[in-house]
Amino acid sequence: MRRPLPLAKERRKAGAGNVKQGMDRAKIQARLEAALAKFAAEGFERYEPALLQPAAVFLDRLGEDFRGRLYLTGEGGGSDLCLRPEYTIPISLGYIAAGAGAAPAAFSYGGPIFRADGGEATQTGIESFGRPDRTVADAEILGVSLDAAMAAGAPPLAVHLGDAGLLRAFFDRLELAPAWRRRLETGLARGGALDAILAPPARGNGAAGAGVLAALEKVDAAGAKRLVEDLLAIAGISAVGGRSASEVAERFLEQAALQEGGIGDDKRNLIERFFAVEGAPDAAADELRKLAGEAGIDLGAALDEVDARTNFLAARGVALEDAVFSTRFPHSIDYYSGVMFEARPKGAGLDSPPLLSGGRYDTLLKTLGSTQDVPAVGAALYVDRLGDAA
Amino acid sequence: MIKTIAPTDRLIVAAPSKGRLQENALAFFSRAGCELSQGRGARDYRGLVLGVDAAEAAFLSASEITARLANGEAHLGVTGEDLVREEIADPATCVEILTPLGFGHANVVVAVPQAWIDVRTMADLADVAGGFRARHGRGLRVATKYVNTTRRFFAQHGIGDYRIVESSGATEGAPAAGTADVVVDITTTGATLNANALKTLDDGVILKSQANLVASLKAPWGEKAKKAAQVILSRIAAEEEARTTREIRTTLEDASDALLQEAESAFGARLRENKESGALAFSLAEKRAPQFCDWLLTKGAQTVTSAKFDYVFRAENPLWARLRGRIGG
Repeated sequence: MRRPLPLAKERRKAGAGNVKQGMDRAKIQARLEAALAKFAAEGFERYEPALLQPAAVFLDRLGEDFRGRLYLTGEGGGSDLCLRPEYTIPISLGYIAAGAGAAPAAFSYGGPIFRADGGEATQTGIESFGRPDRTVADAEILGVSLDAAMAAGAPPLAVHLGDAGLLRAFFDRLELAPAWRRRLETGLARGGALDAILAPPARGNGAAGAGVLAALEKVDAAGAKRLVEDLLAIAGISAVGGRSASEVAERFLEQAALQEGGIGDDKRNLIERFFAVEGAPDAAADELRKLAGEAGIDLGAALDEVDARTNFLAARGVALEDAVFSTRFPHSIDYYSGVMFEARPKGAGLDSPPLLSGGRYDTLLKTLGSTQDVPAVGAALYVDRLGDAA
Repeated sequence: MIKTIAPTDRLIVAAPSKGRLQENALAFFSRAGCELSQGRGARDYRGLVLGVDAAEAAFLSASEITARLANGEAHLGVTGEDLVREEIADPATCVEILTPLGFGHANVVVAVPQAWIDVRTMADLADVAGGFRARHGRGLRVATKYVNTTRRFFAQHGIGDYRIVESSGATEGAPAAGTADVVVDITTTGATLNANALKTLDDGVILKSQANLVASLKAPWGEKAKKAAQVILSRIAAEEEARTTREIRTTLEDASDALLQEAESAFGARLRENKESGALAFSLAEKRAPQFCDWLLTKGAQTVTSAKFDYVFRAENPLWARLRGRIGG
């Protein structure tokens, strides 16, 4: 059995945090209780998942990169359990386990979370499940969490908005080759520069690969599959691992398509303009409508949703004069399916850590074992950071 | 009966407890004139360092050696670079890799099924991993015991959506068994990978590893331990220099300064003796000795001899100097 060794650097950091936490504990507790009182007053039911969680579900959903940020443990020195690193997934699992299908439910939570790169931190927040009136629920979650932040002593906040649903609609309408779409989605999720993502791919493959690609330009999917199967049979290679011959053939076809002169000037231009849009929510939506009209692509439904949400936010009295809507909201869109938001003290740069963040994740619950799609939206408050900012 | 290692001022030298790695390590220490003797019977995990009173040997598994070096329960040890990089979170602050030992060569590589003829580079694998979940409803699975090494390497190549399947033995069989899609494994010749219908990616060599002499920075370095380490490292350095250098002797009448300079600049041959009789002695790296001898013949030498030393002791020992720089003293 591998013996976990001390992570010297991270330990120091966590230690320093604990000293500070000791001094501020009473203050943090008061802030936490103020936020929770606000959530309770708005009808959110308190739900506290266990501190000890199965590690696999976080690694499955958040990626293997996340392993380095988990405090792993287990029986007999194993690593199948972890200290709760966040709340959304455990609460979603609790909701699914309760077996109510997709019935509406609204939960609040508050307590410690543990990350190997930050030690123990206090988080509170809300999750809303099963509401079919999505834009109303979006506005309510953002509005209530902003109110709770104020109740907990946050300074005046500016909201940063994005929309993963709009991004998906845009990619759908662009009708990109699958390989290009993958490149864009993973590139943007990693925060890559658009120029680098849209550059024609450098092929590591030598002449042999190029020969296969050239041959495949003349055949269809079925022909490509036969060619790959024959190549494998002639070479006497047995198929192992999770990919079939047709999958290999399909990717060869995609690669052949990628080779054909890049993504195209029109699409490239459109993508660059789309991802340059940033501004007040109304103005940004107008600009995107104009852009879509000129390019002849239909983003109507997705933009209507953005507008409806903005109106509901305004109706709730959320201050939108400082809000910025951005098509390059800095999040991997994999987890989120609709609105994404963050809030920082007014005047703070977008590279500073947010005091509040959240968004809509309609696809998550099905991947966690729900038998049906469940609309879901939530927000989290970083209680320890409220003190730094105030 | 396991005695706990008391914080007495003794130098603990950890060596592999079995297999070819042990044979090679014992041969290495024995060549260096500080033979490790295992106590009565092969099961005793403690032993002596012959000729160095303040030192004792501990025979352990390679992974246990790494762990003890990291937490300071051993001062010096023989272990693979792969394990140092994998099992120590912050190697630079815990250990100092003193010198490669020239055995235990193996590479940690990323290998995929040979049937994936469209995947030859890490960029290809990143592309496949990116689309894997959408197609299969789960992330790409990677079987390995090198969890940390894999995570670092995959992150460098922009691969984030995958799952590690921890595997402590027969990793290369995981794709055929259906428990993983690709592997990160250690290999010497690639034959085992081949036999399992796997291939190494063109840029998929994560680490070229070999056995190294590694010093702990966390161990209690008392005066006696330091002194013992200095003695052992000085012998190791003397043996290493002897093994890798040759003494070349010849006779050349009126060897000019220009000729001696060329010997130094072209072959790295250092002049050791220059007698009035014309007898010359040089020392230089073993690998360049044959060419140097040929060159001397073209300069008029009638006979050139090359000889090997047993030890080359020097007042300033680079291994000890490096360790002293890290632990003070």
